[in-house]
Amino acid sequence: MAEWVKVADLAEVTRRRKVAVDLGGERIALFNVAGRVYAFADSCVHRQRSLSKGTVLGDRVICPGHQWAFELETGQAVDRPECQPTYRVKIENGGIWVLPRGARAPALPAPAGEKSPAGV
Amino acid sequence: MPQTIVAVGAGQAAAVAARTLRRRGFDGRIILVGDEALPPYQRPPLSKEYLTGEQEGGDLVVLGENWCAEHDVDLRLGVAAERIDTAARSVHLADGTRIRADKVLLATGAAPRRLPGVNGERTVYLRNLDDAARLRARLRPGAKLVIIGAGFIGSEVASAARAQGVDVVVLEQGETPLSRVIGSDIGAVCARIMRDAGVKLYTGEAVTAVDETASGIVVRTGGGLRVEGDALVVAVGAHPNTELAAASGLAVDNGVLVDEYCRTDVEGIYAVGDVANQHHPLFGRLLRVEHFDNASKQAMTAAKNMLGKLTAHTDPHWFWSDQFDLNLQHCGHSTDWDRIVVRGSVEDLDFTAFYLERGVVRAAFAIERGAEITAAKELVAASASPDPASLSDESVDLDSLLLNGTTQGTAIDGREPAMEG
Repeated sequence: MAEWVKVADLAEVTRRRKVAVDLGGERIALFNVAGRVYAFADSCVHRQRSLSKGTVLGDRVICPGHQWAFELETGQAVDRPECQPTYRVKIENGGIWVLPRGARAPALPAPAGEKSPAGV
Repeated sequence: MPQTIVAVGAGQAAAVAARTLRRRGFDGRIILVGDEALPPYQRPPLSKEYLTGEQEGGDLVVLGENWCAEHDVDLRLGVAAERIDTAARSVHLADGTRIRADKVLLATGAAPRRLPGVNGERTVYLRNLDDAARLRARLRPGAKLVIIGAGFIGSEVASAARAQGVDVVVLEQGETPLSRVIGSDIGAVCARIMRDAGVKLYTGEAVTAVDETASGIVVRTGGGLRVEGDALVVAVGAHPNTELAAASGLAVDNGVLVDEYCRTDVEGIYAVGDVANQHHPLFGRLLRVEHFDNASKQAMTAAKNMLGKLTAHTDPHWFWSDQFDLNLQHCGHSTDWDRIVVRGSVEDLDFTAFYLERGVVRAAFAIERGAEITAAKELVAASASPDPASLSDESVDLDSLLLNGTTQGTAIDGREPAMEG
Protein backbone atom coordinates (compact mmCIF):
# COMPACT_ATOMS: atom_id res chain seq x y z
CA MET A 1 0.00 0.00 0.00
CA ALA A 2 1.33 3.44 -0.92
CA GLU A 3 2.37 5.81 1.83
CA TRP A 4 1.18 9.36 1.33
CA VAL A 5 3.17 11.96 3.26
CA LYS A 6 1.71 15.22 4.53
CA VAL A 7 4.08 17.97 3.47
CA ALA A 8 2.17 21.19 4.14
CA ASP A 9 -1.01 22.73 5.48
CA LEU A 10 -3.65 23.67 2.98
CA ALA A 11 -3.88 27.12 4.58
CA GLU A 12 -0.23 27.85 3.89
CA VAL A 13 -0.41 26.79 0.26
CA THR A 14 -3.59 28.82 -0.12
CA ARG A 15 -1.85 31.88 1.22
CA ARG A 16 1.56 31.59 -0.40
CA ARG A 17 0.83 30.00 -3.80
CA LYS A 18 4.40 28.63 -4.08
CA VAL A 19 5.88 26.65 -1.22
CA ALA A 20 9.05 24.56 -0.97
CA VAL A 21 8.76 21.58 1.37
CA ASP A 22 10.84 18.62 2.37
CA LEU A 23 9.92 15.06 1.46
CA GLY A 24 12.27 12.54 2.98
CA GLY A 25 15.30 14.73 2.34
CA GLU A 26 14.24 15.90 -1.10
CA ARG A 27 12.95 19.41 -1.76
CA ILE A 28 9.52 19.53 -3.37
CA ALA A 29 7.94 22.62 -4.89
CA LEU A 30 4.19 22.98 -4.38
CA PHE A 31 2.25 25.29 -6.69
CA ASN A 32 -1.29 26.45 -6.07
CA VAL A 33 -2.78 27.37 -9.43
CA ALA A 34 -6.44 28.37 -9.59
CA GLY A 35 -7.33 26.13 -6.70
CA ARG A 36 -5.35 23.08 -7.83
CA VAL A 37 -2.12 22.03 -6.18
CA TYR A 38 0.82 20.58 -8.12
CA ALA A 39 4.01 19.06 -6.78
CA PHE A 40 7.35 19.10 -8.60
CA ALA A 41 10.85 18.11 -7.63
CA ASP A 42 12.24 21.51 -6.63
CA SER A 43 15.65 21.04 -8.26
CA CYS A 44 15.43 21.83 -11.97
CA VAL A 45 16.62 19.03 -14.25
CA HIS A 46 18.64 21.63 -16.19
CA ARG A 47 21.06 23.30 -13.74
CA GLN A 48 19.42 22.45 -10.42
CA ARG A 49 17.91 25.84 -9.70
CA SER A 50 14.98 26.01 -7.31
CA LEU A 51 11.64 25.81 -9.14
CA SER A 52 9.82 27.19 -6.09
CA LYS A 53 11.68 30.46 -6.71
CA GLY A 54 10.23 30.50 -10.19
CA THR A 55 6.81 31.48 -11.37
CA VAL A 56 3.68 30.05 -12.93
CA LEU A 57 2.63 31.39 -16.32
CA GLY A 58 -0.62 30.00 -17.65
CA ASP A 59 -0.37 26.22 -17.49
CA ARG A 60 3.40 26.15 -17.01
CA VAL A 61 5.99 26.44 -14.27
CA ILE A 62 8.94 28.63 -15.30
CA CYS A 63 12.31 27.91 -13.73
CA PRO A 64 14.01 31.13 -12.63
CA GLY A 65 17.46 29.92 -13.63
CA HIS A 66 17.12 29.86 -17.40
CA GLN A 67 13.38 30.24 -18.03
CA TRP A 68 12.79 26.58 -18.84
CA ALA A 69 9.04 26.00 -18.96
CA PHE A 70 7.42 22.80 -17.66
CA GLU A 71 3.81 21.79 -18.14
CA LEU A 72 2.01 21.82 -14.79
CA GLU A 73 0.10 18.62 -15.42
CA THR A 74 2.95 16.42 -16.64
CA GLY A 75 6.29 18.09 -15.91
CA GLN A 76 7.16 17.89 -19.60
CA ALA A 77 9.56 20.65 -20.67
CA VAL A 78 8.20 22.81 -23.47
CA ASP A 79 9.95 22.35 -26.84
CA ARG A 80 12.60 20.08 -25.42
CA PRO A 81 12.85 16.40 -24.50
CA GLU A 82 13.54 16.80 -20.77
CA CYS A 83 10.90 16.21 -18.08
CA GLN A 84 10.81 17.54 -14.56
CA PRO A 85 9.77 14.89 -12.00
CA THR A 86 6.27 15.46 -10.62
CA TYR A 87 4.45 13.91 -7.69
CA ARG A 88 0.88 12.90 -7.11
CA VAL A 89 -0.91 15.20 -4.69
CA LYS A 90 -4.00 14.86 -2.60
CA ILE A 91 -5.71 17.33 -0.31
CA GLU A 92 -7.17 15.81 2.78
CA ASN A 93 -8.01 16.97 6.29
CA GLY A 94 -6.64 20.46 5.68
CA GLY A 95 -3.31 19.13 4.49
CA ILE A 96 -1.36 18.70 1.28
CA TRP A 97 -0.21 15.09 0.87
CA VAL A 98 2.34 13.87 -1.63
CA LEU A 99 3.13 10.35 -2.80
CA PRO A 100 6.91 9.82 -2.76
CA ARG A 101 8.63 8.61 -5.93
CA GLY A 102 9.22 4.91 -6.14
CA ALA A 103 6.11 4.21 -4.06
CA ARG A 104 3.61 2.08 -5.93
CA ALA A 105 0.53 4.24 -6.28
CA PRO A 106 -2.96 2.72 -6.34
CA ALA A 107 -4.60 2.79 -9.76
CA LEU A 108 -7.37 5.35 -10.25
CA PRO A 109 -10.13 5.74 -9.11
CA ALA A 110 -8.68 6.69 -5.71
CA PRO A 111 -9.77 4.73 -2.64
CA ALA A 112 -12.71 6.06 -0.62
CA GLY A 113 -11.77 9.05 1.53
CA GLU A 114 -9.22 10.44 -0.92
CA LYS A 115 -10.02 13.37 -3.14
CA SER A 116 -8.97 13.24 -6.77
CA PRO A 117 -5.24 13.84 -7.32
CA ALA A 118 -4.20 17.48 -7.35
CA GLY A 119 -7.78 18.73 -6.95
CA VAL A 120 -9.43 20.67 -4.17
CA MET B 1 7.01 14.33 -54.14
CA PRO B 2 9.18 14.45 -51.00
CA GLN B 3 10.85 17.76 -50.35
CA THR B 4 14.44 18.44 -49.39
CA ILE B 5 15.31 21.04 -46.79
CA VAL B 6 18.95 22.01 -46.47
CA ALA B 7 20.37 23.92 -43.54
CA VAL B 8 23.64 25.73 -44.16
CA GLY B 9 25.27 25.67 -40.77
CA ALA B 10 25.07 22.89 -38.21
CA GLY B 11 24.84 24.77 -34.95
CA GLN B 12 22.05 25.33 -32.47
CA ALA B 13 19.65 26.96 -34.92
CA ALA B 14 20.05 24.26 -37.55
CA ALA B 15 19.64 21.56 -34.90
CA VAL B 16 16.44 23.05 -33.50
CA ALA B 17 15.07 23.50 -37.01
CA ALA B 18 15.72 19.82 -37.80
CA ARG B 19 14.05 18.70 -34.56
CA THR B 20 11.08 20.97 -35.12
CA LEU B 21 10.60 19.80 -38.70
CA ARG B 22 10.54 16.15 -37.67
CA ARG B 23 8.32 16.80 -34.64
CA ARG B 24 5.82 18.54 -36.91
CA GLY B 25 5.68 15.61 -39.25
CA PHE B 26 7.97 16.67 -42.09
CA ASP B 27 9.09 13.43 -43.67
CA GLY B 28 11.21 14.72 -46.54
CA ARG B 29 15.00 14.91 -46.60
CA ILE B 30 16.76 17.08 -44.06
CA ILE B 31 20.45 17.85 -44.63
CA LEU B 32 22.64 19.93 -42.34
CA VAL B 33 25.87 21.25 -43.86
CA GLY B 34 28.46 22.36 -41.30
CA ASP B 35 32.02 23.53 -41.79
CA GLU B 36 33.11 22.21 -38.38
CA ALA B 37 33.80 18.49 -38.26
CA LEU B 38 31.50 18.15 -35.25
CA PRO B 39 27.79 17.43 -34.88
CA PRO B 40 25.65 20.32 -33.61
CA TYR B 41 26.68 21.34 -30.11
CA GLN B 42 25.85 24.13 -27.65
CA ARG B 43 28.23 27.06 -27.42
CA PRO B 44 27.14 28.77 -24.17
CA PRO B 45 29.02 26.29 -21.97
CA LEU B 46 32.25 27.07 -23.86
CA SER B 47 32.71 30.17 -21.72
CA LYS B 48 31.34 28.56 -18.57
CA GLU B 49 30.98 24.88 -17.64
CA TYR B 50 33.40 23.60 -20.29
CA LEU B 51 36.14 26.02 -19.22
CA THR B 52 35.80 25.01 -15.59
CA GLY B 53 35.87 21.36 -16.51
CA GLU B 54 32.33 20.67 -15.30
CA GLN B 55 31.43 19.59 -18.81
CA GLU B 56 33.30 17.94 -21.65
CA GLY B 57 32.79 18.24 -25.39
CA GLY B 58 30.55 15.20 -25.45
CA ASP B 59 28.18 16.82 -22.96
CA LEU B 60 27.56 19.69 -25.34
CA VAL B 61 26.21 17.73 -28.28
CA VAL B 62 22.69 18.76 -29.28
CA LEU B 63 21.99 16.40 -32.16
CA GLY B 64 23.91 13.16 -31.84
CA GLU B 65 24.57 10.52 -34.47
CA ASN B 66 21.95 8.17 -33.05
CA TRP B 67 19.22 10.74 -33.11
CA CYS B 68 20.10 11.76 -36.65
CA ALA B 69 20.10 8.15 -37.80
CA GLU B 70 16.76 7.45 -36.13
CA HIS B 71 15.18 10.58 -37.52
CA ASP B 72 16.80 10.44 -40.92
CA VAL B 73 18.72 13.70 -40.68
CA ASP B 74 21.80 13.82 -42.86
CA LEU B 75 24.83 15.59 -41.36
CA ARG B 76 27.46 16.74 -43.88
CA LEU B 77 30.20 17.88 -41.55
CA GLY B 78 33.61 19.39 -42.11
CA VAL B 79 32.62 20.91 -45.42
CA ALA B 80 31.71 24.52 -46.13
CA ALA B 81 28.92 25.66 -48.40
CA GLU B 82 30.05 28.29 -50.87
CA ARG B 83 27.00 29.46 -52.69
CA ILE B 84 23.32 28.93 -53.25
CA ASP B 85 22.24 28.90 -56.85
CA THR B 86 18.86 30.48 -56.25
CA ALA B 87 17.62 29.86 -59.78
CA ALA B 88 18.53 26.17 -59.84
CA ARG B 89 17.72 25.80 -56.13
CA SER B 90 20.94 24.09 -55.27
CA VAL B 91 23.50 24.51 -52.53
CA HIS B 92 27.10 24.31 -53.74
CA LEU B 93 29.64 22.90 -51.34
CA ALA B 94 33.38 23.54 -51.26
CA ASP B 95 34.08 19.92 -52.23
CA GLY B 96 32.22 20.37 -55.49
CA THR B 97 29.01 18.66 -54.39
CA ARG B 98 25.69 20.27 -55.24
CA ILE B 99 22.59 19.55 -53.18
CA ARG B 100 19.19 20.24 -54.67
CA ALA B 101 17.02 21.96 -52.13
CA ASP B 102 13.36 22.89 -52.07
CA LYS B 103 13.95 25.14 -49.06
CA VAL B 104 17.13 26.46 -47.51
CA LEU B 105 17.80 27.58 -43.96
CA LEU B 106 20.78 29.91 -43.57
CA ALA B 107 22.19 29.43 -40.08
CA THR B 108 25.82 30.31 -40.63
CA GLY B 109 26.26 32.08 -37.32
CA ALA B 110 28.80 34.72 -36.42
CA ALA B 111 32.57 34.88 -36.08
CA PRO B 112 34.59 36.75 -33.47
CA ARG B 113 35.78 40.23 -34.39
CA ARG B 114 39.54 40.13 -34.65
CA LEU B 115 42.11 42.74 -33.77
CA PRO B 116 44.41 43.23 -36.78
CA GLY B 117 47.66 41.34 -36.38
CA VAL B 118 46.66 39.79 -33.07
CA ASN B 119 46.63 36.07 -33.73
CA GLY B 120 49.46 34.30 -31.97
CA GLU B 121 49.47 30.91 -30.31
CA ARG B 122 48.76 32.46 -26.92
CA THR B 123 45.75 34.34 -28.23
CA VAL B 124 42.25 32.91 -28.21
CA TYR B 125 39.15 34.21 -29.94
CA LEU B 126 36.45 32.12 -28.32
CA ARG B 127 33.81 30.77 -30.67
CA ASN B 128 34.05 27.03 -31.04
CA LEU B 129 35.13 23.94 -29.17
CA ASP B 130 38.70 24.04 -30.50
CA ASP B 131 39.11 27.59 -29.20
CA ALA B 132 37.69 26.62 -25.82
CA ALA B 133 39.96 23.59 -25.59
CA ARG B 134 43.03 25.72 -26.32
CA LEU B 135 41.95 28.23 -23.70
CA ARG B 136 41.12 25.63 -21.11
CA ALA B 137 44.60 24.14 -21.41
CA ARG B 138 46.01 27.48 -20.28
CA LEU B 139 43.81 27.89 -17.22
CA ARG B 140 46.07 26.69 -14.41
CA PRO B 141 46.37 28.14 -10.90
CA GLY B 142 48.74 31.07 -10.99
CA ALA B 143 48.62 31.49 -14.76
CA LYS B 144 48.11 35.07 -15.92
CA LEU B 145 45.24 35.70 -18.30
CA VAL B 146 44.56 39.00 -20.02
CA ILE B 147 41.07 39.52 -21.42
CA ILE B 148 40.24 42.31 -23.83
CA GLY B 149 36.55 43.12 -23.54
CA ALA B 150 34.25 42.94 -20.52
CA GLY B 151 31.13 41.93 -22.39
CA PHE B 152 29.28 38.74 -21.56
CA ILE B 153 31.91 36.43 -23.04
CA GLY B 154 34.79 38.35 -21.44
CA SER B 155 33.05 38.36 -18.05
CA GLU B 156 32.22 34.69 -18.19
CA VAL B 157 35.76 33.74 -19.16
CA ALA B 158 37.04 35.91 -16.31
CA SER B 159 34.71 34.10 -13.95
CA ALA B 160 35.75 30.63 -15.09
CA ALA B 161 39.42 31.59 -14.92
CA ARG B 162 39.15 33.02 -11.42
CA ALA B 163 37.39 29.87 -10.29
CA GLN B 164 40.55 28.02 -11.21
CA GLY B 165 42.96 30.34 -9.46
CA VAL B 166 44.08 32.18 -12.58
CA ASP B 167 45.24 35.80 -12.24
CA VAL B 168 42.91 37.76 -14.47
CA VAL B 169 43.27 41.23 -15.95
CA VAL B 170 40.32 42.60 -17.93
CA LEU B 171 40.70 45.61 -20.20
CA GLU B 172 37.42 47.27 -21.12
CA GLN B 173 37.06 50.21 -23.47
CA GLY B 174 33.75 51.42 -22.05
CA GLU B 175 33.08 53.21 -18.78
CA THR B 176 31.88 50.00 -17.14
CA PRO B 177 31.41 46.42 -18.26
CA LEU B 178 28.26 45.96 -20.34
CA SER B 179 27.51 49.70 -20.39
CA ARG B 180 26.11 49.49 -23.91
CA VAL B 181 23.54 46.93 -22.90
CA ILE B 182 22.61 47.95 -19.35
CA GLY B 183 24.06 51.42 -18.89
CA SER B 184 26.90 52.60 -16.67
CA ASP B 185 24.86 52.83 -13.46
CA ILE B 186 24.00 49.15 -13.53
CA GLY B 187 27.24 48.28 -15.31
CA ALA B 188 29.08 49.62 -12.27
CA VAL B 189 27.56 46.72 -10.31
CA CYS B 190 29.15 44.25 -12.73
CA ALA B 191 32.48 46.01 -12.24
CA ARG B 192 32.12 45.57 -8.49
CA ILE B 193 31.26 41.90 -8.86
CA MET B 194 34.37 41.34 -10.95
CA ARG B 195 36.69 43.19 -8.61
CA ASP B 196 35.23 41.46 -5.55
CA ALA B 197 36.18 38.19 -7.25
CA GLY B 198 39.77 39.35 -7.58
CA VAL B 199 39.73 40.41 -11.22
CA LYS B 200 41.95 43.38 -12.04
CA LEU B 201 39.50 45.35 -14.14
CA TYR B 202 40.56 48.47 -16.02
CA THR B 203 37.82 50.47 -17.70
CA GLY B 204 38.05 53.30 -20.18
CA GLU B 205 41.10 51.54 -21.63
CA ALA B 206 41.45 50.97 -25.35
CA VAL B 207 44.13 48.52 -26.45
CA THR B 208 46.79 50.02 -28.70
CA ALA B 209 49.29 47.19 -29.08
CA VAL B 210 49.63 43.47 -28.45
CA ASP B 211 52.99 41.73 -28.64
CA GLU B 212 53.53 38.03 -28.33
CA THR B 213 56.82 36.34 -27.61
CA ALA B 214 57.83 32.82 -26.75
CA SER B 215 57.40 33.63 -23.07
CA GLY B 216 54.18 35.56 -23.01
CA ILE B 217 52.06 38.41 -24.25
CA VAL B 218 52.26 42.13 -23.53
CA VAL B 219 49.28 44.40 -24.03
CA ARG B 220 49.51 48.17 -24.12
CA THR B 221 46.61 50.61 -23.79
CA GLY B 222 45.83 54.18 -24.71
CA GLY B 223 45.84 55.09 -21.03
CA GLY B 224 49.47 54.01 -20.70
CA LEU B 225 48.98 50.60 -19.14
CA ARG B 226 51.40 47.78 -19.87
CA VAL B 227 49.99 44.37 -18.96
CA GLU B 228 51.80 41.05 -19.19
CA GLY B 229 50.25 37.63 -19.33
CA ASP B 230 50.65 34.02 -20.34
CA ALA B 231 47.60 34.05 -22.55
CA LEU B 232 45.20 36.48 -24.12
CA VAL B 233 41.48 36.26 -24.82
CA VAL B 234 40.06 38.80 -27.21
CA ALA B 235 36.31 39.14 -26.67
CA VAL B 236 35.29 42.27 -28.53
CA GLY B 237 32.19 41.15 -30.30
CA ALA B 238 31.31 39.17 -33.38
CA HIS B 239 30.21 39.81 -36.94
CA PRO B 240 27.65 37.77 -38.86
CA ASN B 241 28.88 35.19 -41.40
CA THR B 242 27.13 36.65 -44.43
CA GLU B 243 29.64 35.73 -47.14
CA LEU B 244 27.59 32.88 -48.49
CA ALA B 245 24.38 34.91 -48.53
CA ALA B 246 26.12 37.80 -50.26
CA ALA B 247 27.69 35.45 -52.82
CA SER B 248 24.23 34.10 -53.52
CA GLY B 249 22.71 37.52 -54.14
CA LEU B 250 20.63 37.78 -50.98
CA ALA B 251 20.03 41.13 -49.28
CA VAL B 252 22.62 41.58 -46.54
CA ASP B 253 23.13 44.42 -44.03
CA ASN B 254 24.51 43.65 -40.58
CA GLY B 255 23.45 40.10 -41.29
CA VAL B 256 21.04 38.43 -43.68
CA LEU B 257 17.90 40.55 -43.84
CA VAL B 258 14.70 38.73 -42.92
CA ASP B 259 11.12 39.61 -42.08
CA GLU B 260 9.30 38.52 -38.93
CA TYR B 261 8.74 35.09 -40.52
CA CYS B 262 12.50 34.68 -40.93
CA ARG B 263 12.15 34.87 -44.73
CA THR B 264 14.93 36.40 -46.81
CA ASP B 265 14.20 38.29 -50.00
CA VAL B 266 14.48 35.05 -51.95
CA GLU B 267 11.46 32.79 -51.83
CA GLY B 268 12.16 29.50 -50.06
CA ILE B 269 15.28 30.75 -48.29
CA TYR B 270 15.15 31.56 -44.57
CA ALA B 271 17.80 32.86 -42.20
CA VAL B 272 17.95 32.41 -38.44
CA GLY B 273 20.23 32.80 -35.44
CA ASP B 274 23.34 34.93 -35.08
CA VAL B 275 23.44 35.68 -38.81
CA ALA B 276 19.87 36.92 -39.14
CA ASN B 277 18.93 40.59 -39.01
CA GLN B 278 15.21 40.35 -38.45
CA HIS B 279 12.51 42.98 -38.64
CA HIS B 280 11.11 42.71 -35.11
CA PRO B 281 7.44 43.80 -34.83
CA LEU B 282 7.64 44.44 -31.09
CA PHE B 283 10.47 46.95 -31.40
CA GLY B 284 9.60 48.23 -34.84
CA ARG B 285 13.11 47.84 -36.18
CA LEU B 286 15.67 45.40 -37.48
CA LEU B 287 17.41 43.42 -34.78
CA ARG B 288 20.27 40.97 -34.90
CA VAL B 289 21.17 39.29 -31.65
CA GLU B 290 23.68 36.64 -30.70
CA HIS B 291 21.65 34.91 -28.01
CA PHE B 292 21.28 31.17 -27.75
CA ASP B 293 17.54 31.45 -27.07
CA ASN B 294 17.04 33.53 -30.20
CA ALA B 295 18.71 30.87 -32.30
CA SER B 296 16.26 28.29 -30.94
CA LYS B 297 13.17 30.48 -31.22
CA GLN B 298 13.89 31.73 -34.74
CA ALA B 299 14.70 28.20 -35.85
CA MET B 300 11.32 26.96 -34.59
CA THR B 301 9.62 29.87 -36.31
CA ALA B 302 11.36 29.24 -39.62
CA ALA B 303 10.62 25.51 -39.48
CA LYS B 304 6.92 26.19 -38.94
CA ASN B 305 6.87 28.67 -41.81
CA MET B 306 8.65 26.21 -44.08
CA LEU B 307 5.81 23.77 -43.41
CA GLY B 308 3.20 26.35 -44.26
CA LYS B 309 2.15 27.39 -40.75
CA LEU B 310 2.54 31.15 -40.85
CA THR B 311 4.25 32.12 -37.62
CA ALA B 312 5.86 35.43 -36.72
CA HIS B 313 8.76 35.68 -34.33
CA THR B 314 7.64 38.43 -31.97
CA ASP B 315 9.14 37.27 -28.67
CA PRO B 316 11.02 39.83 -26.65
CA HIS B 317 14.65 38.70 -26.66
CA TRP B 318 16.03 36.99 -23.62
CA PHE B 319 19.46 35.83 -22.54
CA TRP B 320 21.30 34.81 -19.43
CA SER B 321 24.84 34.91 -18.10
CA ASP B 322 26.02 32.79 -15.20
CA GLN B 323 29.15 34.38 -13.81
CA PHE B 324 30.89 34.73 -10.43
CA ASP B 325 28.25 32.49 -8.81
CA LEU B 326 25.50 34.90 -9.86
CA ASN B 327 22.65 34.42 -12.29
CA LEU B 328 22.23 37.41 -14.59
CA GLN B 329 19.33 37.65 -17.03
CA HIS B 330 18.20 40.23 -19.54
CA CYS B 331 15.11 40.54 -21.68
CA GLY B 332 13.83 42.95 -24.30
CA HIS B 333 15.82 45.50 -26.24
CA SER B 334 16.59 49.14 -25.57
CA THR B 335 19.33 51.46 -26.68
CA ASP B 336 17.46 54.66 -25.90
CA TRP B 337 16.04 54.29 -22.44
CA ASP B 338 15.13 57.51 -20.69
CA ARG B 339 14.47 56.00 -17.29
CA ILE B 340 15.74 53.05 -15.23
CA VAL B 341 13.52 51.80 -12.39
CA VAL B 342 15.13 49.47 -9.87
CA ARG B 343 13.22 46.86 -7.90
CA GLY B 344 15.14 45.29 -5.04
CA SER B 345 18.67 46.08 -3.93
CA VAL B 346 21.54 46.79 -6.27
CA GLU B 347 23.81 46.91 -3.24
CA ASP B 348 22.85 43.34 -2.32
CA LEU B 349 23.14 42.09 -5.92
CA ASP B 350 19.47 41.10 -5.76
CA PHE B 351 17.43 43.31 -8.09
CA THR B 352 15.63 43.83 -11.35
CA ALA B 353 16.26 47.02 -13.34
CA PHE B 354 13.54 48.05 -15.80
CA TYR B 355 14.48 50.16 -18.81
CA LEU B 356 11.68 52.49 -19.91
CA GLU B 357 11.29 54.49 -23.09
CA ARG B 358 8.59 57.14 -22.71
CA GLY B 359 6.97 55.13 -19.97
CA VAL B 360 6.96 51.82 -21.85
CA VAL B 361 8.95 48.89 -20.45
CA ARG B 362 11.37 47.91 -23.23
CA ALA B 363 13.98 45.87 -21.39
CA ALA B 364 14.92 44.51 -17.98
CA PHE B 365 18.12 43.26 -16.38
CA ALA B 366 18.15 41.19 -13.21
CA ILE B 367 20.63 39.60 -10.86
CA GLU B 368 19.28 36.53 -9.03
CA ARG B 369 15.67 37.42 -9.96
CA GLY B 370 14.79 35.03 -12.74
CA ALA B 371 11.11 34.91 -11.74
CA GLU B 372 10.86 38.68 -12.18
CA ILE B 373 12.43 38.39 -15.61
CA THR B 374 9.63 35.96 -16.50
CA ALA B 375 7.16 38.72 -15.60
CA ALA B 376 9.31 41.42 -17.24
CA LYS B 377 9.24 39.52 -20.54
CA GLU B 378 5.45 39.65 -20.42
CA LEU B 379 5.53 43.38 -19.70
CA VAL B 380 7.89 43.94 -22.64
CA ALA B 381 5.80 41.74 -24.93
CA ALA B 382 2.71 43.76 -24.01
CA SER B 383 4.52 47.09 -24.42
CA ALA B 384 3.19 47.81 -20.95
CA SER B 385 3.37 51.24 -19.32
CA PRO B 386 2.96 50.47 -15.62
CA ASP B 387 3.28 53.06 -12.90
CA PRO B 388 7.04 53.15 -12.15
CA ALA B 389 6.29 53.27 -8.42
CA SER B 390 4.58 49.90 -8.77
CA LEU B 391 7.57 48.45 -10.60
CA SER B 392 9.84 49.28 -7.71
CA ASP B 393 7.35 48.40 -4.97
CA GLU B 394 8.13 44.83 -3.93
CA SER B 395 4.72 44.42 -2.29
CA VAL B 396 3.14 44.78 -5.72
CA ASP B 397 3.03 41.58 -7.75
CA LEU B 398 4.57 42.21 -11.19
CA ASP B 399 1.95 39.92 -12.74
CA SER B 400 -0.77 42.30 -11.59
CA LEU B 401 0.85 45.08 -13.60
CA LEU B 402 0.36 43.03 -16.70
CA LEU B 403 -3.38 42.90 -16.25
CA ASN B 404 -3.32 46.67 -16.16
CA GLY B 405 -1.52 46.54 -19.51
CA THR B 406 -0.94 49.76 -21.30
CA THR B 407 -2.57 52.19 -18.94
CA GLN B 408 -0.61 54.61 -16.85
CA GLY B 409 -1.76 55.06 -13.30
CA THR B 410 -2.08 53.06 -10.14
CA ALA B 411 -1.50 49.36 -10.10
CA ILE B 412 -4.36 47.15 -8.98
CA ASP B 413 -4.25 45.79 -5.46
CA GLY B 414 -1.50 43.17 -5.23
CA ARG B 415 -3.19 40.80 -2.76
CA GLU B 416 -3.86 37.25 -3.88
CA PRO B 417 -7.50 36.25 -4.42
CA ALA B 418 -8.64 33.68 -1.84
CA MET B 419 -8.50 30.07 -3.04
CA GLU B 420 -11.81 28.51 -3.99
CA GLY B 421 -13.38 25.53 -2.24
